[in-house]
Amino acid sequence: MDFIFNDYNLRILISVGIYIIMALGLNLITGVTGQLSLGHAAFMSIGAYTSALISMKLGLPFGVALLAGALMASFFGVLVGFPTLRLTGDYLAIATLGFAEIVRVLLVNMQFTGGALGLSPIPNKTNLYIVYLLVFVVIFAMYRIENSRVGRAFLAIREDEIAAEAMGIQTTKYKILAFAMGAFCAGLGGALYAHYITYINPIDFGFMKSIEILNMVVLGGMGSIPGTIIGASLLTLAPETLRFVDEYRMLFYGAMLIALMIFRPNGLLGGVNFRNLVFKTFKLNRSSQGK
Amino acid sequence: MFYQQLLNGLTVGSAYALIALGYTMVYGIITLINFAHGEIFMVGAFVGLALAIFFKANIFVTIIGAMVACMLLGVVVEKIAYRPLRRSSRLSALISSIGVSIFLSTLVQLIRGPQTTNYPTNIIQNSMYHLGSIQISKLQVMMILISALLMLGLHLIVKYTKIGKAMRAVSQDYDAASLMGININQVISFTFAVGSALAAAGGVLVGIYFNAVAPLMGLSAGLKAFSAAVLGGIGSIPGAMLGGVILGIAEITAIALGKSSYTDAIAFSILLLVLLIKPTGLLGRPIQRKV
Amino acid sequence: MGNIKTKMLSLLLICVFLLTFITGCGGQSSSGSGQDDEIKIGFLGALTGEVASYGINTLKGMKMAADEINADGGVLGKKIRIIEADNRGDKGEIANVTQKFITRDKVAAIIGDPTTGGTKVAAQIAQQGKVVLLSAGAVGTGVVEIGDYIFRNTLLDSVAAPVVVKYLKENMGWEKVAIVTSKNNDYSVGQTKVFKKALSENGVEVVTEEFIQDKDTNFSGQVTNIKAKNPDGIVFTGYYTEGGLLMAEAYKQGLKVNLVGGDGLLSDVLIKLGGKGVEGSMTFAGFSPEKPDENTKKFIDTYKTKYNEEPDMFVAQGYDAVKIIAEAIKKANSTDPTVFKAELAKIKDFPGVSGSTTFKANREPVKSPVNLLVVKNGKFSLLAKIPVEIN
Repeated sequence: MDFIFNDYNLRILISVGIYIIMALGLNLITGVTGQLSLGHAAFMSIGAYTSALISMKLGLPFGVALLAGALMASFFGVLVGFPTLRLTGDYLAIATLGFAEIVRVLLVNMQFTGGALGLSPIPNKTNLYIVYLLVFVVIFAMYRIENSRVGRAFLAIREDEIAAEAMGIQTTKYKILAFAMGAFCAGLGGALYAHYITYINPIDFGFMKSIEILNMVVLGGMGSIPGTIIGASLLTLAPETLRFVDEYRMLFYGAMLIALMIFRPNGLLGGVNFRNLVFKTFKLNRSSQGK
Repeated sequence: MFYQQLLNGLTVGSAYALIALGYTMVYGIITLINFAHGEIFMVGAFVGLALAIFFKANIFVTIIGAMVACMLLGVVVEKIAYRPLRRSSRLSALISSIGVSIFLSTLVQLIRGPQTTNYPTNIIQNSMYHLGSIQISKLQVMMILISALLMLGLHLIVKYTKIGKAMRAVSQDYDAASLMGININQVISFTFAVGSALAAAGGVLVGIYFNAVAPLMGLSAGLKAFSAAVLGGIGSIPGAMLGGVILGIAEITAIALGKSSYTDAIAFSILLLVLLIKPTGLLGRPIQRKV
Repeated sequence: MGNIKTKMLSLLLICVFLLTFITGCGGQSSSGSGQDDEIKIGFLGALTGEVASYGINTLKGMKMAADEINADGGVLGKKIRIIEADNRGDKGEIANVTQKFITRDKVAAIIGDPTTGGTKVAAQIAQQGKVVLLSAGAVGTGVVEIGDYIFRNTLLDSVAAPVVVKYLKENMGWEKVAIVTSKNNDYSVGQTKVFKKALSENGVEVVTEEFIQDKDTNFSGQVTNIKAKNPDGIVFTGYYTEGGLLMAEAYKQGLKVNLVGGDGLLSDVLIKLGGKGVEGSMTFAGFSPEKPDENTKKFIDTYKTKYNEEPDMFVAQGYDAVKIIAEAIKKANSTDPTVFKAELAKIKDFPGVSGSTTFKANREPVKSPVNLLVVKNGKFSLLAKIPVEIN
């Protein structure tokens, strides 16, 4: 048992959990609502810094720090959402990218965030139970959202914004809502990350971090919750599993992305109907389940 | 002082403009944000470096050699990574271009090592000219002149040649152009070739001017040039030039005001402001919302 | 429906567990053998990504030291094996790699990370896992405070900057300086604080403070600003790449002052990038390639024949780190970190190639003398050896 439940595997499992939470947030914005965001790491950093400052400077309990981090990120999500809503598609992507760069530069330049020196030591509070409790809560919430009136509005916006508007959906409102909820998850993940790594500085939340999270969503299959979970798990594990090729692994990583887009442009699990798959595996059928 | 900084800004800006042109042309034709473009710029700088070191080539041969090599690279990248994705979602192509970007920068790093290197100092006899209180180096004059010449050349090609006409047609209406008998593949390959060549020229010039060539130089230069393209109005060639120069001058102004650690934030803030006021950029065409 | 959802979720979780399991087993078998006849030392640093150059050079130095020790029969009859892993400079990966070294490879000691931030992350884990961590690059504050397993063998800015500033004022007549800080580099921001304190204590005026960022290449604006203030010299706290580029630009604009900075500047790259601009520039260092003692000369020659370049500070510190660990293991007659860490703490005047190292009671290193190097005819030469009192 020792070589399964050792500290190393535990540590990786926790990282996987944290990335699942953040990737699910981005999946809601980009996968479900169809708004490409290239600034997810900025929301993550806002969550990380807010929670870290609350823990370090105010000494409040971990739960409060987590919630505050998530809410602050969510608040910024709305803040970005408002002005950028006039923009569509690629312009929105660039606006989020610009926003993320501005956040990073501000973190470097502000006094109370420690500038390039960052913040440390942040109390090490994140553990497996908290992370996976939150993973389950987020997954559950995502399923509830997807099958709700709000979720259908999100999907409608992704499929055809003009048609959605014509059908009476207030696209502006729903897009802000998607940003707020997605940023909430990113902030939550960031707060967990900060209390896990115990040291944060602005370099950790650059453009490549946003891309990393985006790749998780895309790899698994945009808009698919199980897909995003698997994408996040695979890509968090990838650097570890590919460790034997060390210097060459980023080369593989790049080539993998290209190949994947060519051969499975919708991601590994994009377009796979998970519910049917599970029904088939467990030899259940829909009608019997309905009763 | 002011004019000196303005001149420095103009020099940097003209290099940004060269890179920005590639983004804007590709976007104009296949609406793809080609993230790998920054990497082409980097490869161009390295090819030039290799020519200068191993063949003791002079500055003009270096630039032309780098342009030819990157032309081929651009076309090959398009064939492998983007062409198979032409009918899939735009996001797939975007992810694929991120894959190319990671692949190329890692590859160069593996071959060349991560160290920053420089061009041999004898590649240009850098003499200073004095115009009143401002100094202008021979290299600065050359940078501005070469950039201007290349842009003029591009303008003539787009405006007065058959292939230029085809490019304009494809960017206006992809489907209609193909119905008119325009060989779309050829036009796209040509666009990539020209854009990559300009980026390579930019790479060599920037490499010599800043005396630094590094495998990771592509990302930040790419992001800035891309902002320049969006700033000027993506898809618009004069817009890219204008955007590049504005960005270069804005950055230098920030440094001159003693706010140099905010340069990135200022560049992106300008970008966000322009997007919010005029979402299509300074010289961009209005977006048509097709129902 | 709820039932199905839970089933699906458990299925997914099983997948995740399974994957971790597979990763877990893969590594286990490869490193399980040969535990007793070798001493494993983990290399923690980046081999790819933005801070790769520091990691690669540290690793080169470590390997050289290990090869030398092994050629002489090893330590306690055991060979030293360096375990490599690339962490890309990413904090999450630094944490993972550190834990991997402790749990899976069962290393005796970890050397790295070259950056202060990375060291802070790794130190928490090493302290918990009771493995000695010796950083060959971290100079920022709050490192050794993490615990009694945490060491570093770097020339601290707080040791070097005061004596260097005093020297510059007394021997070179510096009265007013410009300070250039790389704002997104923690090393630089930390060193600027130390320098500012030393400058004000010695009554040297700071006429302008300029900021750059790592990976910037365009310093024309900063140089124009500095030139307008006409200082006696530039205090530059960043790394060699930006330092070289800054001085090349200064040369281009005809700003004829010298630069002084920390051992982050000590690299051939500084001279290559700076060209004529860095002539006369000074760096402090524990390591001096000029007038070396016998050991250091051997080190420099071996390195040159092997890699065909001058060794830099990271190479020297990586090399020394392995030797210091070996020394402590030999003295303690044990490869158990809980045992040999006591001997490590007692290291005094260790004659390394990066200077003579003594650990104070709080495990902070003092390296004496501080070498002040100057770039002369495209080479680092020794300007002065300034002794430091250990207290």
